[in-house]
This record gives sequence, C-alpha cells and structure tokens, in this order.
Amino acid sequence: MSRLLNRMNTLQTVQRYQGLVGLLLLFIAAFFLSKDFFTSDNWVNVLKQVAIPGTLAIGMTFVILTGGIDLSVGSHLALINVIVAAWLKHGTGLGETIAYSLFIATTIGAFIGWIIGATKLQPFIVTLAAMVTLRGIAYVYSNRTMISGFEDKLGGFQQSYFQLPVSGWILIFTTILSGVLLARSIFGRHVYAIGGNQEASRLSGVPVNKTRIAVYALNGLCVGLAAVLFTARTNNGAPSAGLGYELDAIAAVVVGGSSLVGGIGNVFGTFLGALFIVCINNVLQLGGVDTNIAQGWKGLIILLAVYMQNLGRQ
Amino acid sequence: MNMRSKIGFIGAGLALALAGCNGSSSGTATAGGGNATAANNSSLPLVAFSQANSQDPWRQVFDKDTKAEAAKYTSDMQFEEQEAEDDVNKQVGVIDTFMVKKPKVLLVSPVTEAVQTEVEKAHDAGEFVILLDRSVPGTKWDVYVGGDNMAIGRQAGDQMGKLLNGKGTVLMIRGTADAKPTKDRGNGFMESMKKFPGIKVIVGDDCGYQRGKAQTFMENFLQQKQPFDAVYAHNDEMAIGAYQAMKAANTPKKVIIGIDGCQKEMIEHIKNGDIDATFMYPDPGPKGVDIADDFLKGKKPTDKNIFLPTEMVTKDTADAYEKEHPNLAG
Repeated sequence: MSRLLNRMNTLQTVQRYQGLVGLLLLFIAAFFLSKDFFTSDNWVNVLKQVAIPGTLAIGMTFVILTGGIDLSVGSHLALINVIVAAWLKHGTGLGETIAYSLFIATTIGAFIGWIIGATKLQPFIVTLAAMVTLRGIAYVYSNRTMISGFEDKLGGFQQSYFQLPVSGWILIFTTILSGVLLARSIFGRHVYAIGGNQEASRLSGVPVNKTRIAVYALNGLCVGLAAVLFTARTNNGAPSAGLGYELDAIAAVVVGGSSLVGGIGNVFGTFLGALFIVCINNVLQLGGVDTNIAQGWKGLIILLAVYMQNLGRQ
Repeated sequence: MNMRSKIGFIGAGLALALAGCNGSSSGTATAGGGNATAANNSSLPLVAFSQANSQDPWRQVFDKDTKAEAAKYTSDMQFEEQEAEDDVNKQVGVIDTFMVKKPKVLLVSPVTEAVQTEVEKAHDAGEFVILLDRSVPGTKWDVYVGGDNMAIGRQAGDQMGKLLNGKGTVLMIRGTADAKPTKDRGNGFMESMKKFPGIKVIVGDDCGYQRGKAQTFMENFLQQKQPFDAVYAHNDEMAIGAYQAMKAANTPKKVIIGIDGCQKEMIEHIKNGDIDATFMYPDPGPKGVDIADDFLKGKKPTDKNIFLPTEMVTKDTADAYEKEHPNLAG
C-alpha cells in the first residue's frame, strides 16, 4: 500500500512539474545542439518570443481549468491588433488606446462566456463561431488593409529593464497575479470546482455562470494584453494576424500540466509550458534543424504530455 | 508495465526525441528537401535566410533554387534557412534568433512591411541585409532583389487586350487584399487597361492566392450568370482554381491569364490550351545568394534595387520554358 502511494506521489510530482522536466531535457539537448542557446542575448530573445503566446496561454489556463476551451483567441488578437493600430494612427494617446483596447477585449471575452452560459452550448462550438466572426470583424474594421504609420509609439514595450524586455516583465507579472488569484481567492476555488464537477458545484452554491463569464473576461483581458504586445512587436495592425495562435496557447497549457477535462493545473505550469514550446523552436533553429521537422517533434512532445496527464487518472 | 517504468519509458522517449534532433539536421542537409542546410564547417561565415513561408508552390521553387545556389558556395559560406509560416511575429522571432548566431549576411523575404523595424535592427547590428521579393520602407537595408509586379501587371494587361481584341469583360481574381504584390499586379493591369477602353474589368474577391478559395469564388460567380469573356488571376493557383470551376460547370472557353509560372501543372494547362498565358514571377533567391557571396569576397553591388525581368509563357513558348526551368514545382 505504501509503495503504491509512493508511486502515485512520484507520478503526481512529475505531472505537476512536467513543463520543468521538459525544459531540463531540452537544456541537455541544447547543450549538444547549440552553445548559442545559453547566451544572455538569446535569453532576452526567448523572453520576447514567449511573451505573446505565454500571455495567451495564461488566459487559456483559466478557461481550460473550468473545462472549457477558447478557439477564438487568434482572431480576437487580430481584431484588437487592428483596433490598437487604427487608434494610434488616428492620433489617440498611448494610455487611452491601451485602456480602450483592453476594455474591448475583456468585454468580448465576457460576452463569449455569457453566450456559453445562456445557450448551454459547448465552449468548443461557441468559440469556433467567435473565431470566424471576430476574424470577419477584424477585416471589416481594418477595411481589409494593414494599418501602419504610427511611428514608434509602442517602442517602449521593446525596451529592457533589469536585463529583461518589458514584454517579458508583463508576462511574468500576469503569471504571478493569475497564480495568486487562482490559489488564494474564492473565485479561484470556484474555477477549480467548476472544472472538477460543474453540476456538483452548481448544487453546492457556486455561481457557475458568473464565474464562467469572469473566466472568459479574464481570458479576453489576456488576449488584449497579448494584442498590445503583438502590435508593439510588429508595429502595424494586420487583420490576418494571429492565425493558429489558439493552438499554440492550448498546447502550452497542456504541456504545462493542465488537464483539458478541467479542474487540474496552474498558471506556473503554463508559463513553463509556453517557455518550453518557444525554446524548442529556438533550440532547433540555432541548431540549424528544419522547421517542419521541428513541427513534428512539437506534436510528439504534446502527445507525450497529454499521455502523462492521463496516467493514473482513469 | 507499472507506473514507474511507464514514467521512465516516457522520460527516455522524450530524451531520445530531443537528442534525435541533432542527427536529423545532417539528414536534412543531405536530403536537400528541408529548410535548413547545416554545414559542418562552423568557421565559415554564416549566411542566414529568413523565408516568409515554404508552403506555396512559388516559394517551394524559390527555396529549392536558393539552396541549389548556396550549395555552389559551400567553401565560402554556411547557409541556413528558416521559414516563418507567413506570420510577421514569427519572422521577427526567427531573425532575432539568427542574430544570436551573428550572421555576416542576412537574406530576408519579408512576410509584410511590418518586419521593417527588425530589418533595421539587423542592419544596425552590422549585418549585410538583402531583401528578397518584398521590400520594406526606409533605407536601412543594403540590397533589394525582386520582380516588378507593376510591370508584370502591365504586360498581363497588354496580353489580355491583345487576346480580347480590345473588347470584352474581364473578371479579376485578387490575391491577399493587404499584400503589396496584390496591389501592384492589380494597378499595373488597370494601367494597361486604359489603352483598351472597350474592356470592362469586374474586380473580384480577395481569394488569398489560394486555389480552393478562387474555385469557390468562381463557382459562386458563375451562379450570378453575369456575362464575362476572360479571367485575370493574380497568381497561377487562383487561375487554375477558376479554370477548374468553369470546367466543372461546362462554361464555354474563356481567356485565362495567371502570374508566377512556377508550376508544371500550369505549364501543362497552357500546353493543353486550357489557360492562355502566365508571366514568370522571377525567383530572387539565387541572385540573392550570389550577392551574399560577392559581399563575403568584398564586392558590393552598385544598384540598391535589382529588378529581375519577367517572361511570358504561352502555348508556343511552353516547351522551351520548361526546358529552361528544370526546378518547376510538381
């Protein structure tokens, strides 16, 4: 009996920190593939690259913890991207533009959460519809062209403070705040409860619909943040931006140890998961490995991660 | 298998998978079909190439030709290539990562003009920056090599006017709305149309340079029963898509003109008389690699903008064209 418990503990520990385990293995691989991986230049570079998918993945973690999914984040990012670009081009101040676009992003998220509760449709279907709709709105809003010509108004996001890029700091703060919210607040407990068993939580008095709206709103806020960082990075607004980003975000959450069924996982794991995925790309490129071969490895690793999540949980 | 051995098995698998990457890089180099050609001699200067995407047929030929050219200079340079899946954000990441390796020459085929800041960063870091196919605003780059889409659009217009004897209706199927080649291929064509007041142009939808989208668009267009005499598509894939839709609907033969001339399939259609003409969109890769090699030997080109000429392919010239371009996509 105690041996069995022991095994379960080892398994749970590995599951909990599988992002970290993956990263460690990757570091070993990097040691053979490319020494450039370990330079500080490259680490600033990696943090810049992880900021956008990482922020999206943090938002996605909330959604996945409730047992939901959001397929619309890529299109949502494109819409906020063109809004930010259009407002800056129009001459609106930086602060107002950011506040306004984050507000819109949060509202869109809340609206999606509300629809899921009101229609009782699966999140997969609702967010699939949102994915198509938001992409269409992004094209119409931008008049089907790219929006550029707002100089370097968002240049501040590309600078570094204390050795780290601003975008990296934003991801780190978002992760810590989200982690505290999930672990220390009643709201956080509700999120885990809904993901564990929605019906049981409803019967025991958890405000399921309100919590869901808040979760999708937080996810929307994360999309808004990511979109601002995206605009800063590309310095323009493109209605075709962010294609397929929802899958990167979901992959980061899963590799980070969250269960797609809901109720299990945390944002620190997601952070490591996102970092892991960006590092794979980075290591393989530095090592001169073919991009499409890299995609194959990524798929294999995600499959392994999900398999590990399911061990001992049937 | 008990739990612990399962974990061990997975861990070993993961480690193997990651370690395996090392071996696969040399595999790609010899296979030649991949994106990265890792040379073994790391003391040679690095020439890094950031490709916008490696998916569409024109880019595949572009990749193949570029690699073949780089293979001629293995004693002068290490050549590496990465694609960015047509995503600006990914391309910025690719270039940032290349910069860690401090290449002497950076070849960039921009996804959009939005990589300007990143291109400037590389230029400021002292890298010799060669832009391929698409340019970026500003002057902080060294050489641009590409085709002249305006000129191609004009020539396509001239040919259209000739084939229609200056009279009729042309449906223009457009590429990605927010891309510069789309604007140039459209504007060049419209410029030429001024010479043919008897020709009316219907501006069709943005079909994203994709065959499937153009096919669907054409199917819907045919449902409207609007009379037309010709199709001008901003690339061959869309021309083929439109042709397939018309063929399925038993539409009588229309004049069809495409652009790119990089696929065997298109050349076959031209030989069969299904499609009337295409204009080669020149592949800037080999020229870019030549310039990179010249630079490594201390020679810089005198022109900052190098425009490669186009070539019209019709039924009469199709055979010769195919012989001249052995690397056409399948």
